[in-house]
Amino acid sequence: MSEKDRKLESSCEACVHRRKILKGLIGVAGLGASLGFLASFGTIKPEEKKKGRRKINKGDKLVFAVGDMANKVITVDSLPVGKGTLAYPKGKEDHDNLILLFHAKYDEFEKPTKLKFVTKEGFAAYSAICTHMGCTVEWYPNKQFSFNFPHLFCPCHQSVFDVFHGAKVLAGPAPRPLPQLPIMVANNEIVAAGDFDGPIGPLPGGK
Amino acid sequence: MYRWLDERLNLERFKKKYLSKVFPVHPTFFFGEIALFSFVILVLTGIYLLFSYVPSSEIVTVGGKKMPASYYSILLINKQPLGLIIRYVHHWAAHLMIAALILHMARVFFTGSFKKPREINWLVGMILFTLAILAGFTGYSLPFDALSVVATGIGYEIANSIPYIGHAIANFFFNGHFPASGSLPRLFMYHVVLLPALLSATIGLHMLIMIKQKHTQPAKNKEIVGPDKILGIPLYPQQISLMLFVFLSTTALLFFMASLLPVHNVEYFGPPTLQTPMVKPDWYLLWIYGIIKLIPGSWNIPLSATASIDPEVIGGVIAPGIILTIIALAPFFYKNDEFVNHLEPVSKRPIGTSLGVAFIVLFIVLSFTGYQAELNIPIWVCRIYTVVLPIIAFVITYLIIKKPFRS
Repeated sequence: MSEKDRKLESSCEACVHRRKILKGLIGVAGLGASLGFLASFGTIKPEEKKKGRRKINKGDKLVFAVGDMANKVITVDSLPVGKGTLAYPKGKEDHDNLILLFHAKYDEFEKPTKLKFVTKEGFAAYSAICTHMGCTVEWYPNKQFSFNFPHLFCPCHQSVFDVFHGAKVLAGPAPRPLPQLPIMVANNEIVAAGDFDGPIGPLPGGK
Repeated sequence: MYRWLDERLNLERFKKKYLSKVFPVHPTFFFGEIALFSFVILVLTGIYLLFSYVPSSEIVTVGGKKMPASYYSILLINKQPLGLIIRYVHHWAAHLMIAALILHMARVFFTGSFKKPREINWLVGMILFTLAILAGFTGYSLPFDALSVVATGIGYEIANSIPYIGHAIANFFFNGHFPASGSLPRLFMYHVVLLPALLSATIGLHMLIMIKQKHTQPAKNKEIVGPDKILGIPLYPQQISLMLFVFLSTTALLFFMASLLPVHNVEYFGPPTLQTPMVKPDWYLLWIYGIIKLIPGSWNIPLSATASIDPEVIGGVIAPGIILTIIALAPFFYKNDEFVNHLEPVSKRPIGTSLGVAFIVLFIVLSFTGYQAELNIPIWVCRIYTVVLPIIAFVITYLIIKKPFRS
């Protein structure tokens, strides 16, 4: 700043200096531009907000979801006692419709299992999507770790669900039991008797 | 040639100002350099991988088998003469970078080098560390094999569990409900553009501040050259040759590990299926995994009809967030006016040092909790260990430093 400038500035004590105004304007412009740029990201829309799931209706046949028999309708004879499988409702193979179907002895089921949803042959079905973080649960008919009885097991965080007591949580961080799927036997085939009795998989923390 | 360049670029001035910068010598001063060189190797091997990698989760059929296009591109990379080893070097370099960052942080913490005037650089370092972990996490998703899909899906669910805003945040960052068709291209962008750019900028800032504030140096230097001077070797030629040695050793180590220890073999897990494989997160995320397993499923605080603070958000976001925040704020717990420019003996910070040891024990205990089911330890025992062992570590360290029983 030259001597002349300084004199000019000091001669005008009441007015706002040009330099200050310019600095302010640069600040406002910079802030505005940055905010505008950031805001443009807010207009990006995610592709699929939620995975869709078609409702399971009474009479939907269950098919094997994995293995050599994949896509074949599950009959009473194709799954002996002690076996379990991943299954889908036929024609509605959405990921959230993944079912874990297993075959045990009917007398072993107790409340809170909804016994009318278990067939007299001892078939029962639950959602295969873990209520904790959405991994696929597995059927363990035998001992594993310290669990000396048949159970459903999530490999992600080792939640254990009690198959004979409404899939209630025996161990691990899962917050809710697996929803049960009502099933029945018709013409020797396993068919659904309605939709799951609760929400599938982990619930979002809120909307 | 040198004169021609010097006339135009004034190299002499640069030489005097920067190439003669003094580096104090201490055997623990190389962790940061190893992290930096690992980053350089990550960028170089990453560029190699980018030549062949396809960021698409669309299903292609190869020889009758269905697999994501990205998975198939990794199989092709593996078949190239050097493809597999470069992939393994890339993977091991990521592990080495994070390990070196942790050792570097521990060194800075236990020598008191994070205190005034270096609070800013401690914070910048914490940001750098977080970015490195995010880069590791997004890198995990890229092969899109069974392991990738499970690990990344859990990341989505943790973000999704945040009350009110979580659903929008998760869908924004993963471009829809993971695994949506747009998820992998988005994660790819984070891994190769956004995070490396932010990492480079943060590393640059970290080094600029370090050059401006100068190194902390061994305490004995104070007696040799006085409190205000730095004793060490100049950047050129001594420090440069040391750095070159560290760089080449790091590269050699990584190629050695890559040749002997295969890591993330995509064919072991195979393309994603309906079944979930038995997976554990990488070692540097195992502590968060441990917290998630420790939090009881019954810890649920309802906020409104649709929102609640559930165990997932407590274990995956709140608890790790609190731990990382405490570490980040470490320098601000000290209200000293003096500048710390020499390595401080731990006896000057008995509580801080003991807390540091307690935190390290906490991380180890939490990581072990990740293997609780395999080790057959009941979860309630883990909960007790998690609280008791860090406290014991604190008390023992404090007693060792204070030596109250010495006559």
